[in-house]
Order: sequence, then C-alpha cells, then structure tokens
Amino acid sequence: MNPFWQNIFRGRGYQQTLHYFLSTVPAFSKLDKKDLAFLENIVHSRNYQSGEIVFSQGDIGSGMYIIRTGQVQIFTQDDQDTTTEQAILNEGDFFGEVALTASRPRCASARTTAPTVLIGLFRSDIEEAIRRHPAFSANLMFGLNRVISDRLLQCSLQLEELKKKLISDQKEAADE
Amino acid sequence: MSDQGGGLNRAQVAVLYLVLTTAIASGIAIYSSASNITALLKTATTGLFLPILLSLIVAFLLDPAVQYFEKRRLNRTLSIFTVYIIFTALVLLLLLIIGPPNWKGMMQALKADFPRYLSRAIEYLNGILAIAQEHFPFINNYDLPGQLRSASKSFLGLILVETPRSALRIGSLMLLVPLFSFFFLRDSRHLMRGLISLTPNRYFEMVLDIYSRVSRQLAHFIRGRILEALIIGIVVWVGLSLTDIRYTPILAVVAGATNLVPYIGPIIGMIPGLVIALVDLGVGGQFWWILCVYLLIAQIIVDNFILIPILISRVSNLHPLWVILAIIMGGKLYGVLGMIIGVPIASILNIIVIEIHRYRKTFNPYNRFFTRQGKLL
Repeated sequence: MNPFWQNIFRGRGYQQTLHYFLSTVPAFSKLDKKDLAFLENIVHSRNYQSGEIVFSQGDIGSGMYIIRTGQVQIFTQDDQDTTTEQAILNEGDFFGEVALTASRPRCASARTTAPTVLIGLFRSDIEEAIRRHPAFSANLMFGLNRVISDRLLQCSLQLEELKKKLISDQKEAADE
Repeated sequence: MSDQGGGLNRAQVAVLYLVLTTAIASGIAIYSSASNITALLKTATTGLFLPILLSLIVAFLLDPAVQYFEKRRLNRTLSIFTVYIIFTALVLLLLLIIGPPNWKGMMQALKADFPRYLSRAIEYLNGILAIAQEHFPFINNYDLPGQLRSASKSFLGLILVETPRSALRIGSLMLLVPLFSFFFLRDSRHLMRGLISLTPNRYFEMVLDIYSRVSRQLAHFIRGRILEALIIGIVVWVGLSLTDIRYTPILAVVAGATNLVPYIGPIIGMIPGLVIALVDLGVGGQFWWILCVYLLIAQIIVDNFILIPILISRVSNLHPLWVILAIIMGGKLYGVLGMIIGVPIASILNIIVIEIHRYRKTFNPYNRFFTRQGKLL
C-alpha cells in the first residue's frame, strides 16, 4: 500500500494496538491481517509490576510470553540457592516457548525488572485454535517453528565452535 | 464556641452528627431491604433456571457443528446461524415425513387410563404380596398397596397440574432457548476469558490450564449423556412400536429422560412401560419382548456395551452413594426435574474436583524444595 494512504488510514493510534505489536514480532511477521486479528483474540495480555516472578524453575509450564513493554530477567537457581543470570530480555523478545507444546517443567525462572506488559500465548488456546481454525494454527505454528529452528541453528553453530575451541585447547595443552 | 482547646467546632459536630445519622439510617435501610432484595432477586430469576440450563445444553450439543463450519473459514456468528437454519430445516423435514406425534391426545388418553393401570398394578402387587406373606408374614404390617396408591395418586395430580402450566412455558422456552444458546455459543469464550483474566499473575497459567481441561471434559460428558439418552429413547421407541403397546412415544421419552440418572433411572423408566404392557397385553410373548427391549437390548447391549464405552469416559463415574444423595437433594430443590438433572450436576462437580486434583499432582510450586514425603531437599 502507498505510504501516503497508510498514514491516513493507520494513524499513530495504530502503532499502539496489539495488532501492530504482534505484526512486529518476528515469529508472527509472516501472518496476514486476518490471522493477526485472530491471534489477537487468543493471546492474553498481562500486566506485571517490577520484580514480580513470571514463573519459577520447576513449575509446570503451559505457554510462552512475549514482552510488549518492559524488561525480564531469566535466571537459574541451583541446589545451594545461588542464582545465575542467564539473560536479560527486552521489548519484542519471547521466552518460555519450551513449554508451549508439552507441559514440561520450566528450566529457568523469569522475573520482571521493570513494570512490564507480557503477551501470553498458551497451549490450551492453541489447542482450541487447532480444532477451530486449522489453517490459521498451521501458519502460527510454522512461524514459531521458524524462529525456534533459527535458535537451534545458532545453538548448534555455537556448539560446533566451542567443540573446535576445546579440541584446539586440548592440543595446545598436549603440545606444552 | 472557640476551638482552641482541641475539641470540635460547631460545624464539625454538625457534620459528624449528619454522617453518623446517615450511616446508621442507611445501615438500617440496607439491613431491612436486604431480605427484600433477595426476595426480589428470587422472583426476578424464577423460571430462568430451566431456560438457561436447556440453552447451555443446546449450546454444548451444537458447538461441534458450529466448529465444523468455522473450520471452513466462516466466522462464528455466521456458522451459528447456518447451524440453526440446518437444524430447524431438519426438524421440519422430520415432522413432514413422519408427522407430529399426537402428544395432546395421548396425554388425555393417558389421563383417562391412568387409574385403570394403577388399580390393575395394585391388584398384581396384591397377588405377589399374598404369595410373599406365606413366607414372610411380617409384610402384612406394612400397608404397601395403600402406600403405592397414595403415592401414585399424588404423582398423577402433580403431572396433571404441571402439564398445562408447562405447556404455557414451552412457548416461552421456544423463544428463550434459541436466543440464549445463540449468545452462549457466540460469547462464552469471551465471557470466560474475561473471568480468567482476573486471576493473579502467579496462578494465571494454572487457572487457564485447569479451565481448559475442565471445559473439555464437561463438553464431552454433557454431549455423551444427551446422545446416550437420545439413542436409548430411539431404541425403546423402535422396540416398543413392534408390539401393540400404546403410548410408545411417551414411554420412549420417559425411558430416555430417566436414563440420565445412572443406576436408578433405567429401573424407574421401565416401570410405566411394564405396567401398561401387563395391563393391556397381559403376560405373554409381547410382555416378555417389551421386558427384553427395556432390559436386555436398551440397557445391557446398547447402553452398557456400546454407548457408555464410546461416549462416556470413566472419569465421570460417580459412586452410587453420591448418585442417591444427588437424586434426593435435586428432588428437594427442583422436584422431578431436579431428580433428573441432580446427578449430571453432581458429576460435573466431580469432574471439576478430579481435574483440579490431577493438576495439583503435577503442578506443585514447591516440588523443588521438598520430596514427595515432605522432606526438605
């Protein structure tokens, strides 16, 4: 569409809508307008205060969260109760997708570090969507799958590098 | 009065006085009108229970059909309308083909015949009692035939009084039920999402998960029960129309409706049929065939071997004691209707409790810190 018309029909108000926000999330960027409108109906918008726990390690998870505004800290806790920060996530990032397809225990905890609005996408809603709108759900799952496989690819590349590094380190140690 | 001493000045005293008196007055007013308000609420909601219940059931039954059209990329409102139109067309077609059964004439004939059936049934009972008394003389102390007579007379009176009134109500039901179920079908998701979104963040995931499980189980259970009653009714109808027995449609409806109550319902449901068969046809081939239809074909073969394993999950099985309690309590609250729907409602509560329990077994926020025996890790 012509940017001129776009400006008239979709004013600054549009940028504030959930619809717009969802279209900026990489996993949903390939969804069309109708699908986005449907997605808008199955996600839950939740408000968190600063320092609130979203979920803790070991909980049975039931879905993923996307950060609309604010910041979330992902951390793990070992048996001695020492916490290790794993990541700081900002606007547009998502987390907790491991528990989306099966009720697995959370492998890390998530805590907000600022007043935060999270968009939750949960397994039960997706299951219902699969029953009612299979075509839409296929698009949705395809987008999620794309992003998750990107992550997997990055992971395996990093692993490869680490392996190479480890082997060269061992060689150096053997040479000395 | 100068208020240098820290006391209240005149204006403040006046305000305090006013506030206190209004507080006390409104307290008394609220207290006295509270009973009025509950009475008002009661009168405002009488007669809404049945339409809402029926429309919930209709909504549960039609939901799969609506989903079928939604899958074909129709929006929900449009698919609900489509389902409504198809459903009405089917009913009209059915009525056109087989013709409406003459319910009214049948009711009137039954009204006339009922005393005859009753007296014959008591005669039979007396015959049985005479035999039984030879072995158990103490039975004589209980006036069984008299009790049966008075109980059935009051039951007949109830039916006679209720029928014209319910005939009036059917008109309003025909209007209200489609309307209500339309809104239930269209907006129940939004309503429930609104309710669930009120839960605190920490418990949100758990509540959402439990809700989705419970609602799926419930839909399954309600659909299963209604379909079961429908199929039993049809089986009894077909089975009885092979004989010369009268009132087949009414007997089929009774058998189907009582089949909603487990254990006890089917037994109650077959009594009228057996009595009518006994009186009109006598003990003979047809009587045994009718007994066979009720007991062997409808209950054992169709219900126990085919319908229950397919339609109803074992989750919703209630202990017989709870069944009896639910029937008694339902009867106290809503009469005959309550007796029929008491058990399904008890099963629904049972499903909810079981699902929450099952979830809590897996969802335990402290299982990182404690072993299953409660010891600190």
